[in-house]
Amino acid sequence: MKQKNSLPAVFLTPAMMILAVLAFVPTVYAIYISLQNRELSRPVGDFVGIANYIDLFSDRRFINAIGVSLTWEAVTVGMTLIVAVGLGILLFECAAPRMRNILALLFLMPVILPRVSAAFVWKFAFHPLYGIATYPYKAITGQPLDLLSNPATALATVALVDVWQWGLFFSVIVLKLLETLPPQPFEAARLDHARTWEIYTHIAIPMLKAPLISLAFVKMIESLRAFDLIYVMTRGGPGITTETLDMYAFSQGFIESGRISYASSMAVLMMIATSIAFTFIWKRVQ
Amino acid sequence: MANIVCSNVDKQYGAVNVIRDFNLDVADHEFIVFLGPSGCGKSTLLRMIAGLEDISGGKVMIGGKTVNDLPPRDRGVAMVFQNYALYPHMTIYDNIAFGLKRMKVPKPEIDQRIRAVAATLGLDPYLQRKPTELSGGQQQRVAIARAMIKTPRVFLFDEPLSNLDAKLRNHMRVEIARLHQKLKTTTIYVTHDQLEAMTLADRIVLMKGGAIEQVGTPAEIYDRPRTLFVAGFIGTPNMNFIDVSAEKVEDGWALRSAGVDFRVSSKRFALAPGQKVVLGFRPADLQKQEPSAARTNVLAGMADLVEFHGNDALVTFVFAGCEIGALVKASGCPKPGDPVSFAVDEDSIHLFDQATGLSLLKM
Repeated sequence: MKQKNSLPAVFLTPAMMILAVLAFVPTVYAIYISLQNRELSRPVGDFVGIANYIDLFSDRRFINAIGVSLTWEAVTVGMTLIVAVGLGILLFECAAPRMRNILALLFLMPVILPRVSAAFVWKFAFHPLYGIATYPYKAITGQPLDLLSNPATALATVALVDVWQWGLFFSVIVLKLLETLPPQPFEAARLDHARTWEIYTHIAIPMLKAPLISLAFVKMIESLRAFDLIYVMTRGGPGITTETLDMYAFSQGFIESGRISYASSMAVLMMIATSIAFTFIWKRVQ
Repeated sequence: MANIVCSNVDKQYGAVNVIRDFNLDVADHEFIVFLGPSGCGKSTLLRMIAGLEDISGGKVMIGGKTVNDLPPRDRGVAMVFQNYALYPHMTIYDNIAFGLKRMKVPKPEIDQRIRAVAATLGLDPYLQRKPTELSGGQQQRVAIARAMIKTPRVFLFDEPLSNLDAKLRNHMRVEIARLHQKLKTTTIYVTHDQLEAMTLADRIVLMKGGAIEQVGTPAEIYDRPRTLFVAGFIGTPNMNFIDVSAEKVEDGWALRSAGVDFRVSSKRFALAPGQKVVLGFRPADLQKQEPSAARTNVLAGMADLVEFHGNDALVTFVFAGCEIGALVKASGCPKPGDPVSFAVDEDSIHLFDQATGLSLLKM
């Protein structure tokens, strides 16, 4: 019965080798230099053990970056899902099939746009003097509105762009998920004295629980990689109010001091933390 | 409890008219069955009464109140669907409780009512399970419980037994009949199964192409089918039909075609000389006789197929170019190839006009 078959191995080996080179080499190298005191200005460095890691925990900017990253995750994932479910239901409830398709196409466009382009477009839109998004405020009050330079609004403004890209995209997915649900439980609920909103909160969303959790998961991973968006729009500013972990690691390694080992230790810690966190969440969900 | 009145009800999907000028009065406590082939509009009509489909024209009244523009929840109806339509993520208990919770019934009362309904339908052991953990019959019982618990004024059943196997279907049919005996709630039941219709209904509404063919008690529909379609649809095995033309003879009418010469009296049928008619009689009404016996209204032929049904057997033979079925006692039934001869009593003969399909029986 059990036949030894080498075909899977033959097909898997090239892909695995490319993956090993692309993923493992940088990872191992990052761990390797995180244990040294390399700087960009010097060609060599010495092993310092876990000194970089110990330093991190007394670094106020690192602690701040953890906070910003967590806030960023919570805000973008939460808002994306709220917008996606809300808009998806609105489309399903109000739009005729033809209109749905047109809107779905429109809603897919932001996510097709490369994020760097989206970031530039929105950065200009939020420009205090020339931006279209801030223009109404300026026209009414006569005062310029600088959302990206205000520590209270900067992170939320960048998050808005992220939600604009992903919330609209996910709303199309939610719409398509709703269309796949069998209509009878909805009809039964309508006869069971449920109002429209109760049909969604009690029947439709619980029926879509599994795919919605998957969407949340995808968005959580995606939100971790928001470096390009933040880099273009605020560079972590004003001050350090939008400085996420990857942003801070980047500025430590390449912009400010060139402390490449210190930056690597941060990257390694992030990798470990996210691996643990996601494994834990995944297990919980299952 | 309530009566239902449909007056001049129409339903259009774009240019297609699926229900045409439908009129029906359902009395309080009555058990009405909408019967008809697939696509005859019976489910659409039920869904219009439930409020799940818009009413294009006419009026639907429940308990004396026009409900055309009322949402389903305000019509006082409960519905059981063919595929059960349970809420898959909820336990059986929550499924049954859902409607009452929406109606803001106090928790202790919900619990008490669920216990009572569950006891009636034998659902006690399953209350904490999910729908997928139950068999089809149990799921349908949950759906009935969910409908029952709201004490609706009207019960609507949309082919509730179609997804069940034959044995379970019989069992559930009896349960539904018993339930109606007990609750006496006005009920409309949609099915394409004539056995369900015959056994459950106070009155059957037989539909075809979006219009009513005949309304009547099961006995009326079986004994006095108003049209050729009804005659062919009701009764298993199917009624036999032979095309003939009527000729006036001394004491009545002769029904003749090649090889056929039947006599009927003029008391029962309203015929015109030369009228093209369809002669119909049920397989069970054929009486086996010796080939030599001299009787009127005789069909003779060679048995070519014998289907064993248990007590009875269906003998098929060709007579005057038509395939005729005769239901005979299984003991001593003819074998294929045997010559057979049957007689038909005049009382069991049905005649329909070939052009209009209407029964020619005098009322």
